[in-house]
Amino acid sequence: MASKYIALPNGVSEKIFDTAVKEFRGVLGEANVLVSAEQLAPYTKTMMPVSETNHTPSAAIMATTVEQIQKIVAICNKYKVPIWTISTGKNLGYGSAAPAERGQVVLDLHRMNRILEVDSDLCYALVEPGVTYRQLYDYFQEHQLPLWLSLPAPSAIAGPTGNTLDRGVGYTPYGEHFMNACGMEVVLANGEVLRTGMGSLPKSNTWQAFKWGYGPYLDGIFTQSNYGIVTKFGFWLQPAPPVYKPFMIQYQDEDDVVEIVEIMRPMRLNGVIPNSGVIAHALYEAGVKAKRSDYVSGPGSISDEAVRKLVRDHHMGIWNVTAALYGTQEQVDVNWKIVTEAFGKSGKATFITEQEAGDDPQFGYRAVLMRGGMDMREFNLYNWRGGGGSLWFAPVSQARGSETLKQMRLAKGILAKYGLDYTGEFIVGMRDMHHIIDMLYDRTDPAMTKAAYQCFDELISTFSAEGYGSYRTNTAFMDKVAHTYGPVQRHVHKMLKKALDPNGILAPGKSGIR
Amino acid sequence: MKATWMACVGFMSALSVMASHTGVLGADQQEVPQTGFTWKDGAEVYTKICALCHETSVGPILRGRELDPLYIRLIVRNGSRAMPAFRASEIDDHSLEQLSEYVSKSAGAK
Ligand SMILES: Cc1cc2nc3c(=O)[nH]c(=O)nc-3n(C[C@H](O)[C@H](O)[C@H](O)COP(=O)(O)OP(=O)(O)OC[C@H]3O[C@@H](n4cnc5c(N)ncnc54)[C@H](O)[C@@H]3O)c2cc1C
Repeated sequence: MASKYIALPNGVSEKIFDTAVKEFRGVLGEANVLVSAEQLAPYTKTMMPVSETNHTPSAAIMATTVEQIQKIVAICNKYKVPIWTISTGKNLGYGSAAPAERGQVVLDLHRMNRILEVDSDLCYALVEPGVTYRQLYDYFQEHQLPLWLSLPAPSAIAGPTGNTLDRGVGYTPYGEHFMNACGMEVVLANGEVLRTGMGSLPKSNTWQAFKWGYGPYLDGIFTQSNYGIVTKFGFWLQPAPPVYKPFMIQYQDEDDVVEIVEIMRPMRLNGVIPNSGVIAHALYEAGVKAKRSDYVSGPGSISDEAVRKLVRDHHMGIWNVTAALYGTQEQVDVNWKIVTEAFGKSGKATFITEQEAGDDPQFGYRAVLMRGGMDMREFNLYNWRGGGGSLWFAPVSQARGSETLKQMRLAKGILAKYGLDYTGEFIVGMRDMHHIIDMLYDRTDPAMTKAAYQCFDELISTFSAEGYGSYRTNTAFMDKVAHTYGPVQRHVHKMLKKALDPNGILAPGKSGIR
Repeated sequence: MKATWMACVGFMSALSVMASHTGVLGADQQEVPQTGFTWKDGAEVYTKICALCHETSVGPILRGRELDPLYIRLIVRNGSRAMPAFRASEIDDHSLEQLSEYVSKSAGAK
């Protein structure tokens, strides 16, 4: 007899699962427990080069309160049913809303979405997991609060809790999001509710003001992990500056990344450039202005010659540096002078400010993101090649010119072997760079999909052999990346898992932890 | 100038206090039943989600094409190539119905 479920959790019989589903319904109501194929379709779509059957959930359940979540973990412990928690569920290119393993129940917290507190004196917010950046942005507008968000490019549809829990990045001075996280509430697998840091102290009003609390700092173990379910999340906001000056600097040779990084690092370290700006390769920005088919016919990766034609046709750089200045007019003027003098020395740089850019969409979307606004034009990435396949390869690099060039060449060579383009950028930290490559492939083409899988696998192997680790990865490659960090870290992760979640009900497989 | 700024600061602090009382704060960890965000209508969903791609040349123009509402609902729930799928937790069934009617009936931008 055909099962009434499209998938079942590993090792759980249909009969046991029936009971668990019945109990979920008892807690959440009929309408908040989804099991049909039609209802689960949006939890199954991914952009990864693996079969969707590997990541098909057995059910999706929607909770809105801490008490409901406590009851759910009790049911999961009783029947050994694993749950995969998502907040806003837009982890696109990293596995989207689908679970790590077939048959896991998705615990979808999008409807748990109250903005609990916004303090415009201390500039912080406390939110529930389902709150989107859009909701916060609108809240600030509506209440005329001079506060800015830092957000990832999917802005309107993603949210601070999920993004920060996966240690995501944005483009403002607050762009390293976990650095600006302050205080969490976490439901543990045994149903206990932990408030981290100062939140554990009854009556404390510094939960969102001081990160560390007393004793071992715990917040970190709830990021990229499966040790708890975060139900409240505090984070810091940037006071809106009086003057905002976004700018772009273009260079026309791949080797120029060395000069760019060497000039930029000291200015990031001393705060002249305060935000996590971006050094984007032309191919990362190309989709905003052109289609790949205008420059390439036939198989294989795009040639350097075609890229040079592309940048000439569309007023782009081979490297496009975008960053911004924030402050009073005097501060911005002084810093702009420092920036232009530093980048101006070699004579290779072209400076573009809002005046020169006009309505240029490449400048435009970057300028909105660097002030925490709503803009999704970066999704033009997917118009470059088409076909909807995307995997983020995200190795960390030192903020050292020679290193960035080495990583770029290494990645480009491996991608070319598989006929794929180097669609890369560096997000500029103080001492590090997030080297972000959107591995674009046509998911409707089985041969290219297979090549994409192999290419990603080789990227991880080759980079880790050189000592370059990924900062984050998609749900199909979590074990592989965990392996690159060596057995001792894996063992410690496992011991923590055993202690905090002995039945292994929370997101088994996340970051390779079971 | 200064007085205006001070008044402004006072107003903001008050707002944050107000905001903090609407939320679940304090040590007792009791969840006060209070609803979260819900969509007003289809136009709001369109403006705050769809338009970010479908009015910026990322995705195709949808308005003014009399698209079949059923087709719209199907694409929203399943996604299409790089277009993400949207779950009922994000756009509930009722709002999706309103959205699909809105998009289907709306005039195209001239
Ligand atoms: C074109 C494009 C551009 C992008 N740009 C960026 C970018 O600039 N920066 C960036 O960081 N990412 C980027 N992304 C990747 C991704 O879309 C974002 O990181 C997005 O914010 C993640 O989705 P989310 O915020 O909805 O989090 P979710 O999907 O809700 O959560 C992410 C993960 O965190 C964990 N998690 C979530 N909620 C909880 C919880 N309550 N308790 C415990 N664990 C939990 C789960 O493992 C989950 O899979 C981009 C994607 C695309 C397609």
